[in-house]
Amino acid sequence: MRFSLLLYVLYRLLKRAMKKNKAYHNYVGNIHNVRIMIKTADGKRGRVFIFDRGSISSRGGARHPYDTAIVWKDAKTGFRVMASQSDEAQFEAAAEGAMKLDGMPFFAKWFNDGVKMVM
Amino acid sequence: MALINGGHLVGKYLKEMENVEIVFGISGGHIESILDGFTQYKIRTIDVRHEQAAAMMAHAWSVYTGKPGVCFLTAGPGFANGLTGIANAYLDNAPLVVLCGRAPLREDLKGALQEMDQIAVVRPITKWAATCYDIRRIPEYLSTAFRQAKEGRPGPVFLELPPDILNIKVDESLAPMPAHFTRKYAVHPDDADLKAAAEIINGAKKPLFLGGSGVGFSGCSDCLRQFLEKTGIPFMLLNYGRGELPDDHPLSVMEMGGLGLIFGIGQADVIVAAGLRFNWILESGKVIPPGVKVVRIDIDPHEIDRNRMADAGLVGDVGSVLGQLTPFVRENDHSEWMNKLKSAGRSTLDHELRMRETASDPIHPARLVAQIQKFVGDDALYVADGGDTSYYGLGFSTRNKAGVIATSSGLFGCLGTGIPFAMAAKLARPDKKVVVLNGDGSFGFNAMEFDTMVRHDIPVVCVINNDCAWGMIKHSQELSIGSDRLQCSEFGVRRYEKMVEGLGGHGEFVTKDEEIIPALKRAFDSGKPACVNVMTDPSVTSPATPLFYQSLNME
Repeated sequence: MRFSLLLYVLYRLLKRAMKKNKAYHNYVGNIHNVRIMIKTADGKRGRVFIFDRGSISSRGGARHPYDTAIVWKDAKTGFRVMASQSDEAQFEAAAEGAMKLDGMPFFAKWFNDGVKMVM
Repeated sequence: MALINGGHLVGKYLKEMENVEIVFGISGGHIESILDGFTQYKIRTIDVRHEQAAAMMAHAWSVYTGKPGVCFLTAGPGFANGLTGIANAYLDNAPLVVLCGRAPLREDLKGALQEMDQIAVVRPITKWAATCYDIRRIPEYLSTAFRQAKEGRPGPVFLELPPDILNIKVDESLAPMPAHFTRKYAVHPDDADLKAAAEIINGAKKPLFLGGSGVGFSGCSDCLRQFLEKTGIPFMLLNYGRGELPDDHPLSVMEMGGLGLIFGIGQADVIVAAGLRFNWILESGKVIPPGVKVVRIDIDPHEIDRNRMADAGLVGDVGSVLGQLTPFVRENDHSEWMNKLKSAGRSTLDHELRMRETASDPIHPARLVAQIQKFVGDDALYVADGGDTSYYGLGFSTRNKAGVIATSSGLFGCLGTGIPFAMAAKLARPDKKVVVLNGDGSFGFNAMEFDTMVRHDIPVVCVINNDCAWGMIKHSQELSIGSDRLQCSEFGVRRYEKMVEGLGGHGEFVTKDEEIIPALKRAFDSGKPACVNVMTDPSVTSPATPLFYQSLNME
């Protein structure tokens, strides 16, 4: 539950940043229809973030199509690492196999770098 | 009194003073006596179908042999056609020696055939450019050209030889060969700098060694191995440094892949970068967090602090510097950190690793690479050329020097380099299998060189990753202007292998996963230059595409 809530809060923050944070708005630019999914490996929880021509939208659930997915072993790990906002924690999670990337991995970096600008 | 003409003087110098065995180019009236000089002095000529291929082959020859490569261009259009290859060598710091004809000096300003100021055009993309005006000074100018090409940071040089000096004769005694035509020298950092670097390395908990083309041009396998095995630092070798130690060396983290590398750099506490420029691929150094200590080794002092102030900078040839640095560093074990790097890399590449293992319809490019690797093995030379194709081609593994080169991923991003590089690779190391993985777009630039391969018996196998498009551009356009407004980025299905068959080579057309290996077997068994045209999934976008897209986001 906390994981899903975190993803929703993240969406609201990014949506607000698209309007208020010029640097973030410019960073996202005019990119067309890029879908970033964050989900749990069992597919029970997730949210897709859709960037399209200077806007962001989002839908809850893990079954939407995506270009890149950040896949967490479980919701607890996902929440803990994402809430920590720590690159080191992400790296450790990847090293332990608790976080994997699916699809085009560069977009995960692109997404995470954008989140850092907002936080 | 023995007379010799200018063209023969060129041949004599190349053969007797530089031991040049092979040169690359196209014939032309302005350089006819040079061509006869090659015959006279038994220098093998590879005559290509476009001068850019000649320059690229000579560039590649320097990469695969460690010696300067020589190409010859005729005046005017021959010169202009060679420019792409020269510019590529310039941005790759390759020791390329270009010998070029020109319109007669005595016809200057009269509207002579192919009269133009070639030197002014070529100067910005060469390390040294000159015209020789005196037949007696041809050996001296050639000697200078070779020295300039290979000493210090290597680079292309350009020597213009007009018919006024090529097509006349001189007494050989008046054009002597230089007594000391070359000199091996090295620049060394002083002990204080070495100790400062060693102190940083000895104190590192999570170090990472990155070696670039400077490692390859240094040819420093032994020094590199001693340094790395003593310090226990995990390493990744890039560009022309690839293969200086095998990819499966216990300390290699090559399997991390590109994004894993960026991920790993962010967690390291010390980066040792040797012969590697911090260019756009490394976000001009920004990919290294501010707290990370950086030790840089480079033959060019201007690189040491470029894009990132180094905490320790060691100027000199990589091998020489490592040889001096090793006594100052302590034995260490970073295996826990190295294993973390590898496993984190695997997590970022999870999707791609699964694609490699899974038969797919249409064929995924990562799967194509895996199947080629499975059939050909790691004792081969792999060349990759294209946008997305280069990314996937870097997934080959090797135990040979310069064993995997993504030619078009250099700073010039020069598509079309793959076929010339593969040809030079086969000529330089005829005992090795040579595979070039070509995008269908980049294939078009030098595809006619299959004629050269047939005429000169250079049995390279070219596998086309055919996604019917300029894939990287197409997918970048999908991101930037939308998939409904694609422009100049699609081709359609083309039977390139039939073109190769028409030129006398072997052709294969592949649409199914299970056809890949049998087609490769037939291609190699043919003993001919071969083209295996493989239809791959046009929807696959490599991770390099968004990196490319983002690098051009100017907002």
